[in-house]
Amino acid sequence: MSLRQVVVVGGSIAALTAVEMLRMEEFDGRITVLSDEEVPPYTRVPLSKGVLAGTESIDDIVLAPLSDDVDLRLRTPATALDIEAQVVHTPAGPVRYDGLVIATGARARRLGGPDQVERVLRSHDDCVRLRDDLAAASSVIIVGGGFLGMEVASTARALGKDVTVVDLAPPLDRLLGTVVGGRVRSVATQAGVRIVVTDGGVRLLGAPTPTGVELVDGTHLEADLVVSAVGDVPNVEWLAGSGVQLHGGVVVDHHCRVAPNVVAAGDVTVMSQGNGDLTRSPHWTNAVDQARAAIRALLHGDEAAPYRPSQYCWTEQFGLDVKLVGDLDPQGEPTVLDGSLEQGSALLAWPDATAPRTVIALNHHTPPAKLKRLLRPTAQARA
Amino acid sequence: MKIVADRDRCEGHGLCADTAPEVYELDDDAIVVLRHEVVPPELERKAEAGARVCPVAALRVEQLSVEA
Ligand SMILES: Cc1cc2nc3c(=O)[nH]c(=O)nc-3n(C[C@H](O)[C@H](O)[C@H](O)COP(=O)(O)OP(=O)(O)OC[C@H]3O[C@@H](n4cnc5c(N)ncnc54)[C@H](O)[C@@H]3O)c2cc1C
Ligand code: SF4
Repeated sequence: MSLRQVVVVGGSIAALTAVEMLRMEEFDGRITVLSDEEVPPYTRVPLSKGVLAGTESIDDIVLAPLSDDVDLRLRTPATALDIEAQVVHTPAGPVRYDGLVIATGARARRLGGPDQVERVLRSHDDCVRLRDDLAAASSVIIVGGGFLGMEVASTARALGKDVTVVDLAPPLDRLLGTVVGGRVRSVATQAGVRIVVTDGGVRLLGAPTPTGVELVDGTHLEADLVVSAVGDVPNVEWLAGSGVQLHGGVVVDHHCRVAPNVVAAGDVTVMSQGNGDLTRSPHWTNAVDQARAAIRALLHGDEAAPYRPSQYCWTEQFGLDVKLVGDLDPQGEPTVLDGSLEQGSALLAWPDATAPRTVIALNHHTPPAKLKRLLRPTAQARA
Repeated sequence: MKIVADRDRCEGHGLCADTAPEVYELDDDAIVVLRHEVVPPELERKAEAGARVCPVAALRVEQLSVEA
């Protein structure tokens, strides 16, 4: 039976790509998009940069609008799923589907207690609030030194704020490895950022608005503003009791399938590797790749080409442009394919140049497609 | 249909060119270049798809008026 009514739940890049892919695959049934947001789909990527700095507005970051024949319903959260009846429940009433795409993404993880109004950065609303708070602050503590935390640090420092980043491990190492992580940190430190590594969880101090953190050793750090950038939590509450397998996200197979006629894509998912392992890849290109695979599986079943990750992510901070393809956290010393780290522009490969599993371009203008081609020898060696 | 590329915003992630190589390519500095002044009708859907996946919203889709 071919599908006539596809419902996509979510209002961001995974949802948008799913709609786009339905159209590319010449699906001519009805498409309904349920989004709990106030605004049409936009990209979050500039939220830690230009929008936070106040140089860009929502108008600069909205994604090309959907065509008129797509029924985009804003301010319409999905509240429950009935797989048996093929219905998504919303406050505005039930919505029937014969194909469902789950693309509800994730929200910021929080550290604080119920009495604390913690500053996080995930949505446009979060960003506007943080932008205004940041403008009024002279010092800021950022808890969490991943891509997001360090990008916020970079933006805050460029605005002249006194910036401290607190993390359990040296910021960025877990993502970029110690060589490039160390390089970015030294540039950040030279730019005036203070990095504090603590070997235990921190506690946010002050209510309702936190104005400090307590480290495990009892040290107190204080600032006008405290921002938590400690990862994200998949939005799966609406799926509770639906029978959808949840395990730190919606569990999907290699075709991004969840249940018959139900697929999922993007930050909301964890992918089953078949051997019991679950992996999560909360990055833009992954949301795009998964949404495409999900729609192919929804329309073509087993015959569809499975999801193939492009394994591409990037960060921009402190004047450094870092593009990575392959496995995160490359270990040991890289082979330098071009340029040099000391000179500030380099193309690096791990573990060696013949069969790299990770390639990083640091301030090096190599298109990602070319970086991916450098990885290919491994894929062939593995096959 | 016309695509307007903001080359200052473009960060060279290449998702547009991966999606619609007939419409977008990257130059030597890994910045987007449009292959057509006006997108040929048969490529419009792909052009839109390519514009929509840009993570920094550097690509705008403009519908041309009828006489164009
Ligand atoms: C500040 C910031 C900077 C980033 N920078 C980068 C970067 O440089 N590179 C990179 O690769 N990635 C980056 N990311 C991550 C990237 O934005 C995400 O991977 C991407 O947004 C995932 O898309 P998604 O559609 O799966 O989920 P989301 O973007 O989380 O979207 C989920 C959507 O579903 C909606 N929703 C949630 N629950 C419901 C419900 N019950 N009913 C209806 N709608 C619902 C949400 O409101 C939202 O619209 C960044 C993220 C942030 C926050
Ligand atoms: S997707 Fe956007 S950032 Fe990437 S190359 Fe195309 S225009 Fe540039």
